[in-house]
Amino acid sequence: MKLIDGFFDRLVERQTRQLAQRSSRRGMLKTLGGLMVGAGAIPLLPVARAAAAEGPERPVEEGDPASCDYWRYCAIDGFLCSCCGGSENTCPPGTEMSPVTWIGTCRNPADGRNYVISYNDCCGKSSCGACMCQRDEGDRPPYRPDKTNDMNWCLGTTSAAYHCSTAIVVGVAFEGK
Amino acid sequence: MKTGLTILALLFGTSAVAADINQQRAQFNYQMSCQGCHAPDGSGANAVPRMRDHVGSFLTTQAGREYLVRVPGSAVSALSDAELAEVLNWIVVEFAGNSAVEPFEPYSSLEVGRLRQQPLNEVVQYRAQLLADIASANMRE
Repeated sequence: MKLIDGFFDRLVERQTRQLAQRSSRRGMLKTLGGLMVGAGAIPLLPVARAAAAEGPERPVEEGDPASCDYWRYCAIDGFLCSCCGGSENTCPPGTEMSPVTWIGTCRNPADGRNYVISYNDCCGKSSCGACMCQRDEGDRPPYRPDKTNDMNWCLGTTSAAYHCSTAIVVGVAFEGK
Repeated sequence: MKTGLTILALLFGTSAVAADINQQRAQFNYQMSCQGCHAPDGSGANAVPRMRDHVGSFLTTQAGREYLVRVPGSAVSALSDAELAEVLNWIVVEFAGNSAVEPFEPYSSLEVGRLRQQPLNEVVQYRAQLLADIASANMRE
């Protein structure tokens, strides 16, 4: 009996030591933390059609989406949804994203590449009034209506009341010939 | 999806169309000049016409084929003749879906350059009449 006890003792001890050598409490925390952060990255709510329709390369980014000098806002003219209860990709609660929008390109300083940006307006509430941002790179006069930010893009929505603007990455600019 | 289209193109001998389209360039030009109103998948929005599963029906008559170039969004766009021809071919391949007609004769930059010289003015009215004509032409066949 003692012999068997001793055998089991040694077996359990060896297994426990091996387990301790292979894994760590930090490792467990890392896995758990990864899962928690990862789960946060999966959108739980329906997201914009503009962002969902295709899976463009997600750029590496830097900067603050609540600041007017954020790279995606190079051609924006309006209130930043990031300051209005939404984000650079999503509309604030109670507003509706316009399916009709104007599209331009901005250079991402993090990787030096140009991306296609869709400036979908969020509509259905009066002007947000926070973080007014006007940067007009590539903006054209209204005689080129698809390339002007100087108009209310709340078209195709139930309400034409403008609230704020998003800046969604929808693709990578083609730079060949 | 793209693989599927390539296989279909190879099977049905339309590989010439696929070969003439630079996918990245065509999609970029679509995004920059068309997508803002016609949506990423060509489904349109309210008053903006739907191209998905519909655009192919215009290719059943000559007037319909010309319409796709003469409509102001095409004719007065900032795209060159070659770029416009490529985008139109890309739109047909990508979005025609149920409305696709075989064989599809791709637009050439020469054809596009000629047709866009006569842009349409009363588009809504013209389009309604055109679709009625296309429907009755298809009924007769």
